[in-house]
Order: sequence, then structure tokens, then C-alpha cells
Amino acid sequence: MSATPTGFGPRLKSLMSQQYAWGIIALLLLLAVDVIKDPSYLAISVNPTTGNLSGNLIDILRQSAPVLMIAVGMTLVVATRGIDLSVGSVMAVSGAVSMQFLASAPNTPGSAVAALAMGLGLSLVLGLLNGVLVAWVGLQPFITTLVMMLAGRGIARVITGGQNTSANNDTFRWIANGTVFGFPVVFLIAALVVAAVAVLVRRTALGTFIEALGINPKASRLIGIRPGGLLVSVYALSALLAGLGGVFATASVMTVEVSRTGLNSELDAILAVVVGGTSLAGGKFSLTGTVVGALLITTLDKTIVFLSIPSAATPAFKAIVIVAVCLLQSERARGWIRGRRAGRGQAQRPTPPSPAPSPTSPDAAAEAHAAAAGTKATAGDAGTDNDQKAVNA
Amino acid sequence: MRTFTPLRKIATLAATGVFALSLAACGASETPADGSSSAGAKLTVGFVAVGPEGGWRTANEENIKEAFKNADIELKYAPATNGDQNSQITAFTSFVDEDVDAIVLSATEATGWETSLKKAQEAEIPVVLLDRGIEPNDDSLYTSLIAPDNVGISAAAATWANARFPDGGNYVVLEGPPGLSVVNDRNKGWDATVESSLKKVGSQSANWSTEEAKSVFETMLKSKSNDIQLVFAQNDEMGLGAVQAVEEAGLTPGKDVKIITIDGTKNALTALSEGKLSFVAEYNPLFGEDAVAVVKKAVAGESVEKNIVVKSVTFDSPEAAKTALPERKY
Repeated sequence: MSATPTGFGPRLKSLMSQQYAWGIIALLLLLAVDVIKDPSYLAISVNPTTGNLSGNLIDILRQSAPVLMIAVGMTLVVATRGIDLSVGSVMAVSGAVSMQFLASAPNTPGSAVAALAMGLGLSLVLGLLNGVLVAWVGLQPFITTLVMMLAGRGIARVITGGQNTSANNDTFRWIANGTVFGFPVVFLIAALVVAAVAVLVRRTALGTFIEALGINPKASRLIGIRPGGLLVSVYALSALLAGLGGVFATASVMTVEVSRTGLNSELDAILAVVVGGTSLAGGKFSLTGTVVGALLITTLDKTIVFLSIPSAATPAFKAIVIVAVCLLQSERARGWIRGRRAGRGQAQRPTPPSPAPSPTSPDAAAEAHAAAAGTKATAGDAGTDNDQKAVNA
Repeated sequence: MRTFTPLRKIATLAATGVFALSLAACGASETPADGSSSAGAKLTVGFVAVGPEGGWRTANEENIKEAFKNADIELKYAPATNGDQNSQITAFTSFVDEDVDAIVLSATEATGWETSLKKAQEAEIPVVLLDRGIEPNDDSLYTSLIAPDNVGISAAAATWANARFPDGGNYVVLEGPPGLSVVNDRNKGWDATVESSLKKVGSQSANWSTEEAKSVFETMLKSKSNDIQLVFAQNDEMGLGAVQAVEEAGLTPGKDVKIITIDGTKNALTALSEGKLSFVAEYNPLFGEDAVAVVKKAVAGESVEKNIVVKSVTFDSPEAAKTALPERKY
């Protein structure tokens, strides 16, 4: 903590050195474009009829809740060198089971709690299954979760009998549409969950273990980290969060659409993680970055509609923004742009070696030391400090 | 990299196998078992279907299955995986290879069917298109197209809008996924009929989804400062999403914002009877019997009509909805 920069200038500088800085810049640019289109875009007013806060920013926050959930889970999975493609389907499963239950249950807070428990419980089971297959059976995470992605949607269909089930329950509806002092409750819940996960991984050694596992599994085993339990809990947590995201998504309209709910959400989650500066190769992760990424993707979706971009062109527009952010994040691409600008006279500098130690190095024992040293260093460096500050704030 | 003991390897294989099996089981539960039309004169028909999509589709496919069952024709049902055209083409090809007596097809995408249809033609298998046409619409490639008239239905919706807004107003369109023939036709009928005093201030795809429509329309309302009087939602689900967005914005659906939907599912008629929707145009899904009749004729070699329009009705008041609700099957 002694290295924490104080004062605005240095703090901004340390923020700009983060991978996700470009995500923040893109976010601000998108908002700026919206403001140019309509100067009152950022205005938040109190709706005279409902008494709630209303505004585009509020909409973005409310909309970002499900993406935040799955992206945070995805971050931890990716940090272990894994990937969880099943989150979108798990959303559908969780939504399906809660809607199906609520459709025949009385409209009471009790049944809302029961529906929530059922949705999250079933999601947890699917996540545990993923984890066990990856950690103990040794299947590839990609294949395991791909299978779960396909099977999950099948399960959701079986649960509702292929129907899009609608239900009525005021408490359940409140989760996604309700407000506390005019502020959307769904975002508050999401923020609390993100904070809880951040405390869990950054205030304990858990986050360091996950990073060590992602940087070098062999070395981390040699320093006494057991990968099995860790992997199972990471996949279980990812599915649990996806289940919560599914509840958010379905409670918003009180309908589960078995072939639509959560469709392609895993891709949004992966995008959020990557934009947030966590490498898909595993290792160091940044939850703050993921939050930035999730907000960026939601803002992008909302901006597309706000600017009335023709619907046929929306995927392309989205892709261009994401590619631009990723290019700016890439040191090599930035160096290339700089090199171009500086002129061709200068000798090409070799690209700096990637910070993560190479996983293919034969000398595992030496790497064990490196990883041990590395994990110690990670715990104290600025990136983690920033995450902790985000939690404290 | 990783070394496996033989036992572990077997366990892995077994687990993969179990999953592959369960996957196959859920992907295509009622698809081709082998063996074709051998047993007597009983016909075998392959149904390349869309699969779960919404209330309308479920009613439609159930009705078709029911009608073929009643006619004592074996119907092999192959739904698409998540609306993917590839899985439909695969199912179509395997039906051709199996040499079924006829194929009925509800295409998820309008384009890209030429090769498959030609294959069926070479194998002399009649193909009847249900609900969704193909593009380019080369009617030498298929036997018959049975569908409600999308252009006519959306034109009827536009006629109602013209009468309802004699002084004009602002409206938006919530479309299905771009590229579908349904979407193109519904746009065509609407655009050709709607008066120019009604001003289109936006048109976005909400992918047939309630959830997406709510989010999309919420932003549209904000971007136009709530100055939208009419929504043309191209299916019921999106219309119901728009209703929720209107309510969240503190406006009254049916009063401040009038919402038109197409399909006429039970949920939409319920909303219409409560005054939340203002106009529901039915897109009649119950044409299984027509399909059976056409398939029988085609297999027998008789000539059939190229284009069979399924009759549909419209509902423009809560009372009309209340009358129709008790008999609504979907």
C-alpha cells in the first residue's frame, strides 16, 4: 500500500498504465458521441409519474447487471487458463426453472425466494459438473463448457416444455425493475456481488492462487496449490453468477425465452474480460477492468439504438469498436503505430518479452520459484491495489 | 503435455461419450431413425422445422404434427438448433438421402436453399414450404408454399394505423432479425400502406425477443423524448416488451403509446383485452390440414396450387380479444 500513488496527476498516470484504460477511453468516447447527438443524454431526472430516477445512464446501469455477473465469473475462469462457454445457457436454465415455478406459485415474496433459490441451485449444480469434468476428469474447458452450453439450452427447453413461460410475481419482478430511493435495485445487487467477489479474491490469497494456477499450473502445484478444488470452485462460481444473471434477465420482462435468454451472452462476457485487460492465456486478471468492459459493452448496445444505426449494420458497428479497443490495448500494435509515426529510419526494436513466464519452459522447479516470487510481487503491485481501492470505495 | 493413465483415459472417453450421446439426444430427439417408407402404403414425410421460438411457432408445429398424425402419415420432425440454417440444411439433406416421400420445410433463413432444393428435385421428392418462403423466389424449385400473407397482414395493420391517426404522429418499428422473408414482407406491406403523415422515427431489430424489445424501445423513447405515439412490433413478444418499456417510462400503453403486434397469441390477446396493446393482427398458425392435403396430392402426382394463402383475422378492440380468447389454442 506504500506505493499507492497520491494526488490527481500520479493517480491518473497509474490509471492510464492499466490495460483497461483504453476501455475507459472508449466508454467516454461513446458517451461523448451520444452527447453530441443529444446534449441531454447524460441528464438524470426524476420521473414525475413513477418517482424513480430516469435517464440513459440509469438504463445502462440496469442493463449492465446481467453482463456484469457473467463477466466477473468469466474473469476468474479465464484467469485459470479456462473458458466458460456455458454461461448464456445457464442463464436460460436458471430463468426457465424460476419462471416455470413462479407460473404456478402464488404471488408472494416467499415464492420469489424459492424461485431464486431453485434457479441459483440448478445453476450451481451445472457449474459443479463443469468444474468436476475440467478439474478431475481432465477434459478441456472449451469442450466441457461447449457441451454444457448446448445441453443447457436443451435442459431449459425441457423445463418449460419448449414454451416461453411467463409468470407474475411482484417481488421477483422487483429484483430487475425495482428501485431503492429511485435507484435501480438490480445494479445495486450486481455491484454488491462484484464487491463481494473482489473481497473474496483480493483480500484472501484466493486471487493469488488463481493467478498462479493460470501463470504456470505445474509450478503452482509444486508450491503447494491444489488445482482441483480451486478449479471446481471457479467454475461453480461462474455458473452461480450466470444463474443470477439469468434471474436478472428474465425478471426484467417476467418471461423466459428458452431460445433467446442469454443467447450469445458468453461472447459478451468474453469481450468484457478481454477489453478489461485479462489475457485469454490466463494468469493475471483485473476485476476492475472487467467491470469497465461490461459497462462498455452495455453502453455500446444502447448507443447503437440511440444513434438509430440500421439493425443490419449493428454487429459490424459493435465489432469495429471492440477491435479498435483491442488494437489500442495491444502493445505491439501501439508500437507499430508509433514506429510509423517516428519514420522508417530508426532500427526496429525487438518486441518486449511478454510478462507472463512461458508455460512451456522445461525447468519446472526453477519456475516454481519464479511463480512464487511472481505471486508475491502481484499481491503488492499497483494493479491489485487499484482493485482493492475499487472495493473500498 | 498431460500424461494419462489408461484408466483415466478410459474414464475421459466414457464421459465424453455419455455427453455426446445426451447431446445427440437433446439436439434432435425425433429425427431420422433409419428405415424409410417400406411398410405398406404409409407415407413418410420429413419436417425440417424451426423449433422452439415463441408461442406462435409452438402452436404452428404442434398443429402440423397433429394433422399428419391424424392422417396416418409418419412425420419425422427435425427442429433447427437455435435457429441455425446449417442444421436445417443438414436435416434436409439427410431426408433426401433417406428418400422420404415428401419434405415440408419452414426455413429459418430465406436465402441459400437452391442447392438443397435442386437435390430434392433430382430425387423427385416434393417439397412443400410452410410459413416461410425462399429468396430469390424461384417457384420451380418447390411444389407449393403454404403461408399466411405477411404483406397483407401488415398492410391491414397499417390501414388501422392510418384510420387511428388521421392527424399523423411518430412511430417506430420493432423488427425481427434482418434478412428473414417474414421481416421483409411485414416491412413491405406496412411501408406500402402507411400514410406519409405518420412519420417513422426509428426502426430497430429486437430479434423477436421480449427482453430485447424492452431494452430497445426504452432507449428509443429516451432518444425521442417520449414523442412516439405508435409502435409497430412485428411479433407479439416484441410488442409485449414494448408495453413494459412504456410502463417503466411512466406512460400508459394504449393511451400515450399505441402498440400494434402481429401473430395473435394468447398472451397478446390477453394484453389487448386489458387495453395494453391496441391492435393485434393474427398470423394464423393452424394450417396443418392444408399441409397434409397438399402433401397427399403432391405425392400422388396431382397438380397443386403454387401459393396457398392461409386466412387470418385481426383484433382491434378489447371486446374482440375477449370474445376470441376462450377459443385461442396458442
